[in-house]
Amino acid sequence: MNMMPPKELEVAKMILETLSLEDITPNDIDPEAPLFRDGLGLDSIDALELSLGIQKKYGIKLRASDDNITQIFSSLRSLTNHITENSQ
Amino acid sequence: MTHKWHNLSERGSPFALRLILWIALHLGRTTARIILFPITLYFLLFAKPQRLASRHYLNRALKRPPTLKDIARHIHCFASTILDRVFLLADQGDCLDVRIHNAELILDLVAQKEGCILLGSHLGSFEVLRVLAVSHHKLPLKILMYPDHNQHITQIFSALNPEVADTVIPLGRMETLLEVDEYISQGYIIGMLGDRVVGDERSTSCEFMGEQTPFPEGPMLLASTLKAPVILFFGLYRGGNRYDIHFELFSDKITVDRKHRATELQQHTQHYANRLEHYTHMAPYNWFNFYDFWNDQDKTN
Repeated sequence: MNMMPPKELEVAKMILETLSLEDITPNDIDPEAPLFRDGLGLDSIDALELSLGIQKKYGIKLRASDDNITQIFSSLRSLTNHITENSQ
Repeated sequence: MTHKWHNLSERGSPFALRLILWIALHLGRTTARIILFPITLYFLLFAKPQRLASRHYLNRALKRPPTLKDIARHIHCFASTILDRVFLLADQGDCLDVRIHNAELILDLVAQKEGCILLGSHLGSFEVLRVLAVSHHKLPLKILMYPDHNQHITQIFSALNPEVADTVIPLGRMETLLEVDEYISQGYIIGMLGDRVVGDERSTSCEFMGEQTPFPEGPMLLASTLKAPVILFFGLYRGGNRYDIHFELFSDKITVDRKHRATELQQHTQHYANRLEHYTHMAPYNWFNFYDFWNDQDKTN
């Protein structure tokens, strides 16, 4: 039943695990909906925890000074794309 | 009538502020302090919500119903610290007698280039510390705060000392705390205030001055995520030209177990509230949260 691309599913799981969002399943996340505020309702402390989680798991460091930081965090899909593009 | 006064004061304030600033910078602190009396009287008469908040607070702090004179003293204490911000920012802080207690706590961390969280409150003056740290000692300090909505006064203060104004990291953006993480790893001191819950931010109920009231969870959550030491600071105004800055080690490293996160965050925040209460009793007129901190109005309604 799961239509999510494998990488997107993996990142979705990582988000839920990092932030201990136990009552949400990856399929509950609309890959194009905003992760912060209106969408999944995450805040700045979640962004920090998530970025530490991404660094640990993928070795990718997200910086506040990155020009496209807002865009990277804008949805599950854009975050997945960023991780895919910057992995290894 | 009240509405009219409100409009008048809004219109009048930029001019009044500039006038006070001119007097302070040209005629000096002693003269400028005379103006604090009519200002205190003005707020005592016309700032009803602040006066009520002061009354509710003083009733707790003094453990008796406050007199009008107590409330006047409270407002005067606040106005004094605002006026002193002018001298501090304009590099005329020599007219103040500032004594620092336990400065080595901070200086040692700076020497080791170890980033830390400097947690304060709206008890007393925060500028006294900020100016000393940034202008006099060139310490790597950033202040995490919500953009100030008190525009006129903020603009005036920023113009007086752009270097100090530059230390602010504005809260409210998604990437704000990523920036904080980067500064901490560069050995910066990150200052923040831990007593006011703003908007819909995460909070936890703590006992403070004998009653439960919400405190923000953010500072402890941030400290545990960054695994940085937390130092408390209180810049107390002691009357005349005297200030006491107290530093106190709160924790070398705050750890929160995910399974018991809510409980443990509450415990750490309660510990902060206890220390805040301790210093509040030391300098009761330094309490500068002039709003309904304990939701007293809801209780009476």
